[in-house]
Amino acid sequence: VIDGSTVEIRRSFRATPERVFAAFANPELVARWLTPSPDIRVTVLRFEFLEGGAYRLAYHLPDGTTSVIGGTYRTIVPPSKIVFSWVIEPPDEHAGIDSEVTVSIARSREATELVIRHERLKRRDAMERHGAGWQGALVALNALLETRAG
Amino acid sequence: MQSNLKLDRTFHALADGTRRSMIQTLARGPARSAGELGLRFRSAQPTISKHLKVLEEAGLIERSVEGRVHRFRLRPQPLKDAGTWIARHQSFWEGAMAQLDKLLEEDGSP
Repeated sequence: VIDGSTVEIRRSFRATPERVFAAFANPELVARWLTPSPDIRVTVLRFEFLEGGAYRLAYHLPDGTTSVIGGTYRTIVPPSKIVFSWVIEPPDEHAGIDSEVTVSIARSREATELVIRHERLKRRDAMERHGAGWQGALVALNALLETRAG
Repeated sequence: MQSNLKLDRTFHALADGTRRSMIQTLARGPARSAGELGLRFRSAQPTISKHLKVLEEAGLIERSVEGRVHRFRLRPQPLKDAGTWIARHQSFWEGAMAQLDKLLEEDGSP
């Protein structure tokens, strides 16, 4: 789901909230799954899982390049909530863009529901308070792509 | 840092409804005069000029001057850049959810 300035992903797992939480809290587990693809290996460079603590993850891409993502934990409430900042390090086309990830974990019947909200933080000085930016970008982009395709 | 600033400008430019309509109009037809855009949006010329300036500074449009006529053309790159950030993170988390599902299955008991 894409709305406004936010990416939101919702999934249900047949596991307890504690196990889902542990997948984020334990560096050995993080190294086994926190990647978009099995082709992209993750190395945990730094992992201080406490409020104010930092993390850094290196992603080794199949083409031999490495991309590093890091940030700090802002909120940790076991086993239901984790908020952390997310910044890609240079050299990367999106390096330095401040964003924030909110992980919400809740039991629902036999399963556990996980919601990931990843939002790009707007810099107040550069942005109008009304936050229609992303939606506008996507609407405009669709219009543009349709025009080019047609 | 540079791309952060560029994206900020893009979002600032796109945060306004009039400017978004201007972009969509320019997406359909490549070059229109400021006068023509003003007519279309029923706004006063100084307001239209201000919006055009914001779009120009964000690199979303470029201006060419022929005599006293200013023409405007859409530049697609900043829009694509804005779209790629969202698309990239969307696919990151969708991929990661599939890996997490595998991990939780492999490690057995719920």
